[in-house]
Amino acid sequence: MSIADFLVIATFTTPEVIGTKPALMLWLLPLAASLAITYKATKLPTITPANFIKETAVLFAVITGLIIAIVLALYALAWLITE
Amino acid sequence: MARPVKENHLLLPLIVGLLAWFVPGAGHFALKERRRAIIIFAAIVPTFCAGLYIGSIGVIDTVGATPWYVYAAQIMSSPMVAVLAHVTAGGGYPVYSWPNEIGQIYTSTAGLLNLLCIVNAVYLAYLRSTQTTGG
Repeated sequence: MSIADFLVIATFTTPEVIGTKPALMLWLLPLAASLAITYKATKLPTITPANFIKETAVLFAVITGLIIAIVLALYALAWLITE
Repeated sequence: MARPVKENHLLLPLIVGLLAWFVPGAGHFALKERRRAIIIFAAIVPTFCAGLYIGSIGVIDTVGATPWYVYAAQIMSSPMVAVLAHVTAGGGYPVYSWPNEIGQIYTSTAGLLNLLCIVNAVYLAYLRSTQTTGG
């Protein structure tokens, strides 16, 4: 095994240190992007670059917007209960 | 000797389904849906690798406290996940807390997205096999 191979494999054998900050929630954005891309790749009847990018961006915005709306609703509910 | 029509209807979807399971996007590639195949591969493989990078290969855990449905979702990415599970079965790659959870979410979501693509590829293959044989 070469040094390059070892370095590549080594990055997958130790967990990343990512802490417990609220910014951790931003990890959902790449996941939402992946979901939007894959879903639209299977659902669009014909794929052209412009059409695909537009449809994917809309779905990504909808997913993210819904998550933000749910977060705000839960935050408001928690505020009402605790105040 | 010609095969029965029903067998022809099943053979292509079966091969395409297996290809799509082994390599994300390969099922669509076999159906000459090259753009879809490249997009699917470029979306699912980095998602799965990101999960492994965040939580290490220890997130594929068939022995520890991981629920069975997480492993079931992970293995839908590719049968290669079983090889990783064999490597991690000895408990040499412990991972806890957020890296474990984010890693599991990423890898299992990648698997479920590949399941969506497998079903889509099998459906397309079935439609094409019925069109070509006139079924």
